[in-house]
Parts: sequence; structure tokens; C-alpha cells
Amino acid sequence: MLELVDLTKRFKQNEAVKNLNMFIEKGEIVGLLGPNGAGKSTAISMLSSLVEPTSGDVRYNNKSILRNPGPIREVLGMVPQEIALYDDLSALENLQFFGRIYKLKGKELQIKIAEVLEQIGLTDRKKDIVKTFSGGMKRRLNIGVAMLHDPEIIIMDEPTVGIDPQSRNYILETVKRLNEEKQMTVLYTSHYMEEVEFLCDRIYIMDQGNLIASGTKEEIKQILSSEHTISIKADRWNDRFIEKLKNNPTIHRVKVEDREITIVVPKEVNMFATLAKMAEEADLELRSVDINAPTLEDVFLHLTGRALRD
Amino acid sequence: MLGQIIKKQALILLRNPVQLLLLIGLPMILIAILGTALGSWMNGDSIEINLKVALIEHETEEEQVARFVSDMDKARLPEEAVVAIKESAIETAPIRMLKDVFVSEELSEMIVLHEVNPSEKQDVLDDDSYAALIEVPENFTYETLNEIFLDEESSINLQVFQNEQQEIGANIVGQILQQFGEQLTLGVFLADQGIDQRAMQVDVDELDSEVTVVNQGNPVSSKAYYTIGMVVMNVLFMATAIGTISFNEKQTHVFDRIILANVSRWVYFTGVLITGMIFAFIQSMLVFAFAWIVFDITWPNLFSFFIVTLSLSISVGGIAVLLTAVSYRFHSEVLTDFFSSIIVTMMAFLGGSFFPIGDSSKILQVIGNLTPNGAGMSAYLSIIRGDAMVAISNHIVYILLFAITSIIIAVLSFPRRGVSA
Repeated sequence: MLELVDLTKRFKQNEAVKNLNMFIEKGEIVGLLGPNGAGKSTAISMLSSLVEPTSGDVRYNNKSILRNPGPIREVLGMVPQEIALYDDLSALENLQFFGRIYKLKGKELQIKIAEVLEQIGLTDRKKDIVKTFSGGMKRRLNIGVAMLHDPEIIIMDEPTVGIDPQSRNYILETVKRLNEEKQMTVLYTSHYMEEVEFLCDRIYIMDQGNLIASGTKEEIKQILSSEHTISIKADRWNDRFIEKLKNNPTIHRVKVEDREITIVVPKEVNMFATLAKMAEEADLELRSVDINAPTLEDVFLHLTGRALRD
Repeated sequence: MLGQIIKKQALILLRNPVQLLLLIGLPMILIAILGTALGSWMNGDSIEINLKVALIEHETEEEQVARFVSDMDKARLPEEAVVAIKESAIETAPIRMLKDVFVSEELSEMIVLHEVNPSEKQDVLDDDSYAALIEVPENFTYETLNEIFLDEESSINLQVFQNEQQEIGANIVGQILQQFGEQLTLGVFLADQGIDQRAMQVDVDELDSEVTVVNQGNPVSSKAYYTIGMVVMNVLFMATAIGTISFNEKQTHVFDRIILANVSRWVYFTGVLITGMIFAFIQSMLVFAFAWIVFDITWPNLFSFFIVTLSLSISVGGIAVLLTAVSYRFHSEVLTDFFSSIIVTMMAFLGGSFFPIGDSSKILQVIGNLTPNGAGMSAYLSIIRGDAMVAISNHIVYILLFAITSIIIAVLSFPRRGVSA
């Protein structure tokens, strides 16, 4: 349905996106993961026809949209990372303006606005000026505007940044519902792993302009299939214990947090005895040792050497 | 689609009371303050007027009067009529009457009339100390007398050269000449009570037809001056207000949304242009209406007034769209801020919004008229002085050329696609 072929974008010396290849099928929710500056927003801007790529192609239903972006724009709903609304207008006035520029009018527009207000839970506040809204309400309206014209594809660029957990859940549920009820195709970018895990069928991971992994959630987690993530908990840590962990050649990675240390080791290695011995030698009392199934966060850490929100 | 963009801009402006106050309320307050505070200065109460006016006669008037009288002797008119005409003609010698006006008690304190030899004409024209030069061509008196008393058409007119650097002085001379023409008509009537009615009809228009070129007609009150000054200055702020709203649409990615709705960027561009024009027009009208209601500032020629206001509004639209295009191109509002804080002030200063700067230097007058507000100001002042449309056409053409140039530069600068990345 939608395909990115060897897409590259260069801004002077900076290559924001390098030879990106992606595809999205109808009815899918596809996640695009990556830390800040990974190139996600640039990729989305090229995909939506807002920014011209330096090289490569964007194809919608096997036709390039670079010269003729009309077809993709007609079926696309865009939820930018920023609150792209008129702050001085009411929710209703915003929806009316964007509805009319999407060529909706009369009864059709009124019905659509009522439907969208219901979906985003702002019916009671429709006459209020947007600048009086909370961050979560603005985010919901930001999504509502993109849904006005019943798009086939909706692109959501970090739609939950900076909002309360309640609004976040509301947005995630709304996206899930739109996909299930209307078979809406969704491209969802985030640096919240749990959102992507909850929503997406397939995932692309970008870092520093490069696509570093792609596949279903299971396929991506398979990248860590030969390894275990072990969480060790204690009341306090001492340097001797951490030193021993870092110097152990079978341990791939050590991540120290306040009361928890996470290590990644090969699956075949039994670490319990080794860890107990290390703790005894370091005069440290362990509270618990758990083996965890790998998460996308672990995969990302494995692939890039840093956490998503670093 | 255009209507939606304009309606949305109007709503945004209306929801911003501070901006509305700055755009409409502030000029009203400034007109009241400046018009009152600087009224006496603008009205000339504190300015001592010392004008030098040169008069060149190519032929002595006495000879021409004698020739006319001699012609009367040969005319086949009743003897009584001939006698009456001869007496009236001697009394009505127009140049002598004009000189009498200049040396009258009221004017002699302000105006010094220098009779100059024709060979010195160029020297006088080059001398900026003269407010005006009145040139009396050969046969002027003779033909004028023929026209007055024998109803023979005359093609000779007084030539008046005004010194553009002494706008007020030239204005005064123009008014004196106009009044002189009217007095001449009255004088003839009084002197020739017994003469045929046709002979009394002096065609003043023909007498001073050249003078109307320099006629500055009605004086401009300080409140009228500052009404015009504040309007032509403040409409420029409308351009920055529209530019700021547009740049905000870019920053918040609303513009991207509009583009993604498959709206041509040229529709958006045209929307900004028309919004700037309409709002500048409404803003001007509101301030002029205020000045009309509160200060009784009226316009002798409403058609010319509307044409100038419309032209100025188009140029404001041009500036608005230029500021929008440049800020979009450079992803920065610096130019709009610079325009609003520095350039508008400079343009207002040069355009004469604060005081008639053009009176002090011809170069500044030319530079001032190269700004759209300055050209607009000159046009409005001409209208309020009673000048005809033709006298302001050059200003209108310049304002429209400025608008077209702004729009063309804006078209060339406006980004091709969305600008989010």
C-alpha cells in the first residue's frame, strides 16, 4: 500500500535519513521507533509528501507520490508531534476550519464533527478556546482533526508526548479502536516502547538516520533469543560487586540502576551460582535474581548500546 | 477555501484584544494626542512665515493698457461704452492689481515680492529661497483685457513655478492667486456697473488655469494631518500582524496540515494577501471614521479617497505576504520583528507621519514618497487640499508598483512544499 524505497534526506552536511526502506500494508499498525534525532520525523515528512527526499522514492499503491502527492494527501491523516491547532479558536472552530479545508460541508461536516468530538471525548468542551485546554485535551483534539475526513492512513508522530497517563491510555485505546473498527492503517512513532508493544503489529527501529531492525514484535525480540536478561536486586550496591560483573567475560552488558542491576548473558549459561559467589566475595546480600523475557527496550539497548529515552 | 482562510484570520485577530487595541485603538489615541499637542505648530501659529516670491514681466503693463485703450478708439462701439471700458480697463490692469495684493498690509509682513528681469529667470528657479515664481507672458494684460471687456478668447495664462521644497509657501501663493482671480472678477463688476452684462463675466478659470497646477487649496489641519499620518503608519503594523499569524501557522505545523489537506500553497498565499488587504482597508476605514466623527475630518473627493485607501491596502497585503514568504523561507521571524520594530518607524518618519519632513529637504521628500506610506500620505494630503485625481495618480501608481513588486518577491521566495523538517 505504502512503500519507502531507498529514501535519503540530506540537510547540508547532515544526513537525517539514510537509504530507508519500509512498507505498510492496509489495516496494519506499524511502529517506528527511535530516540530523539533518529530521523523518524523527517521520514514521516517525506512519506506524507511535506518534504522532498534527496533521493529515493515514496510509493502509494505502486505509484510514486513525489511528483503527484495528491492521491496520498487525500487518504492521509497526519497527527504531528506538535499541537497543530489554532490556540485562539475553540475546538469546534478548529474542527470546522480543518473540516472545510478537507472539503467537508453542511450536514456532512456537522455529523463528522460530532462523531470526532465523541471519539476524542471533547463534546462537552467543544465551545471552549483551545488555549484553555489541558495538554491531554489538546493532544486529543490534535488527533481528532486528523480523523475528520475519514483517512485510510493515519500517521501519528509521538502523539502522547508530555501528557498524563489517563489521556495517554485514552489515545492508545482510540488508536486501537480506529484500527479495529475502521481498518485504519496506522504508522505510529514513539520512543515509549510500551506504547509500541501495545499497539503495533510490526516495528521499524531507526537510529541516527539508519533503519537498524524491522519485523513483528516477536521477530524483533528474537534478536535476543540467544540471551537472557537477568534482574538483580539488592538494598545497596558496592563497587566490588559491580566491578566483578563488568569483568566477567560471559556477561554481555551491565546496566546499574538505584536498586536493580540488569545484565545480559547467553541463554546456556547458568548464572545463579556465579552471582551468588560474586555477592559473597563482595560481601553483598542479594534480595532477588529474576530471569526476564527480552523486551523491545532490551533489543534497542542491544542494537544501539543506549536506551530509547537517552 | 479562500473564505475559510480569511474567516479564520479574522477570528484570530478578533480574539486578540491587545493586538486590536494596538492596530485600531492606538492610532485613534495618537491622533487625539498629536493633533492636539502639535496643533498650533502644524497650523503655523508658532511659525514665522517669510516668503519670497518673484515676478517676471515680459512686457510692461502700461504699454499693453495703452494699446487696448487705443484699440477702443477704433472700435465700432457706442461712445459711452468706449469711455466706460477705457476707464475700467485702466482700473482693471491685472498685474498692477496682483502687485497691490502682495504689497497689501496683511501680506507684506509675510511675503516679499521681487520684480525680476526675464534674463534672471533661471537664477530665480535655481534659488531655493523663493517660494514661487510668477511669470507674466507678453500680451498677457492686453489679451486679458480683451477677454474681459470684449469677450475675446485668450490663450495666454500666468505661469507659476512652485518651489517643491517650500510646500507651505507654494500653497500660500496658490491660494493668493486664486483669491486674486476672484477679486478681479468682483473688481470688474464694480467698476463697470453700466456696461453690458457680458463684459462683466470674467472667466476666472481661464485666467488662472495654469495656477490650478500649483493650487494647494484647502489648508490641512493638524488633526487631519495626524489622522493620515497615523493611518498610513499603522496599516504597516497590520502587515506584521498578518505575517506573525502566518509564521505561527508554520511553527505550529498548521500550515503543514493545510498543505496535507491538498490545499494549494498558492491558495494559502492568496489568502494571506487578501486578508492583509481587507484588514488594512477595514483598519483604515475605522480610524478615518473615528476621525470623521470625533474631529470632523472630511474628504472633498470620496472617490479619490477610496482609490488611495484601496491602493495602500493592496500594498499592505503585499508586505504581509512578503513577510510571510521570507519568514517561511528562512524559518525565522527575525525579519518580521525587525520590520515591525525598526523599519516601520523609519518608514513612518520618512513618510512624514510624525511631521512634514518633506518640507525640510527635497531629498527626504523624494525618499519619503518612495515608501508606500509616504506616497499614500502625499496622496491623502493632496486630496484633502482639494487636488484632482490626476494630481495623485503618480502616488497611486507608485503604491501599486510597490505592491506588485512585493508580491512578486514573495511568490519567488515562498517554499515549494511544507516546511516541517
